[in-house]
Amino acid sequence: MCVNPAGRTRRVQEIEFNEEELLLLASQGDRDAFGRLYERHVDRIFNYVYYRTGNLHDAEDLTARVFQRAMNHIHNYTDRGVPFSAWLYRIAHNLVANWHRDRSRKQEIPLDDLPILPVKGEHPEKNLVRSQEQEALLKIIRRLPAERQHLLILKFVENLSNAEIGAIMGRSEGAVKSLYHRTLLALRDQLSDQNINLEGD
Amino acid sequence: MARSKTTTLPDELLSSLEARLAGTLKPIQPSSDIVQRLRERIHFPAREQIALRLSDWKKMFLVLGGVMSGMVVVITLARAFFYLWSRKSM
Repeated sequence: MCVNPAGRTRRVQEIEFNEEELLLLASQGDRDAFGRLYERHVDRIFNYVYYRTGNLHDAEDLTARVFQRAMNHIHNYTDRGVPFSAWLYRIAHNLVANWHRDRSRKQEIPLDDLPILPVKGEHPEKNLVRSQEQEALLKIIRRLPAERQHLLILKFVENLSNAEIGAIMGRSEGAVKSLYHRTLLALRDQLSDQNINLEGD
Repeated sequence: MARSKTTTLPDELLSSLEARLAGTLKPIQPSSDIVQRLRERIHFPAREQIALRLSDWKKMFLVLGGVMSGMVVVITLARAFFYLWSRKSM
């Protein structure tokens, strides 16, 4: 029997914007479909892991493991009305938690002093001027509970609304709003504890 | 004396804090090199390799079947010769 790869590719391309279909195909073992899901979500998972670990190398390693685990368990995935990214974030969250646990066991030096990756389109000098302040803020953010870090990443890195964040985190919009407010209060207190002035820029 | 900490944020402070967060937590575009490396690690394009492995299995199955059939023919012929030789010698 002759297999037509072009036809198969076309089949996946046709449903490019339908995540449910891609998930169905992926759960049936279609690697092309999983590849499409990977391309769609790799940036956000990489960002999440990077901001949670502060380490480019570990972010790469953990992102690969997130997708490996997702691929191995995609046949168990059931659509419960939450975005697929929520499932990926949960895997990422667990792997990052294990990573932090392993690190604390090994008693390694904290990775808070890592360089800030340059953001696309920004002048390098501007990055240099801001990096100390950014590092200080990132250190404080990384000391927050995982849930609060997740919220900040979804809000500022992913630019999601409270409703979208709620769908991913399994909380109501009001609960997200409340958690966000408490997170800002905690940040303000920690910034003032470190004598970082919030009022002047 | 412990400093009292309010549970509300004035608008100015809120916007200043949000601006700082927005300036710090920016989306990072992983390089195409990283994305490709991850793709290779996860081993997505394995469909062709699976197909190759399957065709190898088919080949192996054919070879094994051929060897078994050949052995059956050899054994049958050997038995026939042995039978004929033993009849002659009787």
